Amino acid sequence: MHEIRIAQDMQKIILEVASEENLNKINTVNVQFGEMVHIVPDIFCFAFEEASRNSLSEGAELNIEIIPVKIRCINCLKEYEISREGRFECINCGSVEIEIIRGKELLIKSIEGE
Amino acid sequence: MEIKIMKNILDRNQNKADEVRNLLKEKNVVMVNIISSPGAGKTTLLERTCEVLKNTFRIGVIEGDITTDRDAIRLKKYDIPIVLINTEGGCHLDSHSISKVLPEFELENLDIIFIENVGNLICPSQFDLGENFKLALVSVAEGDDKPVKYPMLFREARLVLLNKIDLLPYTNFSFDNFYADLQQINPKIPLFQISCTNGSGIEQWLKWISAQIHSKSNHTA
Repeated sequence: MHEIRIAQDMQKIILEVASEENLNKINTVNVQFGEMVHIVPDIFCFAFEEASRNSLSEGAELNIEIIPVKIRCINCLKEYEISREGRFECINCGSVEIEIIRGKELLIKSIEGE
Repeated sequence: MEIKIMKNILDRNQNKADEVRNLLKEKNVVMVNIISSPGAGKTTLLERTCEVLKNTFRIGVIEGDITTDRDAIRLKKYDIPIVLINTEGGCHLDSHSISKVLPEFELENLDIIFIENVGNLICPSQFDLGENFKLALVSVAEGDDKPVKYPMLFREARLVLLNKIDLLPYTNFSFDNFYADLQQINPKIPLFQISCTNGSGIEQWLKWISAQIHSKSNHTA
């Protein structure tokens, strides 16, 4: 259900940018969501439809790119992708001192408009 | 015309959370964000905790509730400052709602604030509230698959409490499976097995949280 709030926050950002750029219509919105953040694309699309109703972004196409989880070992610096259910332990040196470097994104990349 | 933005959608929440964190650091108050499913035992854990620690530390509580003041009423008997936030259907607290209620506390006279987040394992883990750390509370009655289903929370939390272990004989909860999954997601995280009903394991938790309050320098997200 956090999709609703995230769509509302995104809509605020979009409208701010559209106003700065003097856009009259937003046609496309490009976003990136990390696999870790549990966004369900269908629910997000619905939430965005609601959030954009009667605004410049109403009817805009929403492109959602899902970013796989990538981790980096702090010990040996190896970087690799894992599945969301994967083991957070370095496959190279076995260290558990790892950091997530991708997969937590909630990013608005760009908008297209006129 | 494409306009690049490359901005975190939750920037506003993050900025406010950073503000809250700085304020609490300045006032030397620790804040803990307790996240669990509905019914896992957040309020009962707070009852157990306040009962003992209110004699040692100055405690405040922020009660996040979708609706009603029932949880807040349960804690009234400890005579500690409690602020209730009704989210009116919202599935999580955010940093703005925390920032708004902080002036209701006398921060100079507090050591720790416990936030009881809205019962939900997904949404609250996305919203930084400015806390020092998140606490994941799960209960035996929910089943042993929670870590693998909600890795974000178990990755971000500093401690996991497994509550209702007195119910273990009556469920098909496999502690071995639970522990193996947790290890896979966060091999470093401490796990305490507790029962807020019969008090088992509570002492270990109280010792741990007391140590966290004592090392107030530990101010990280």
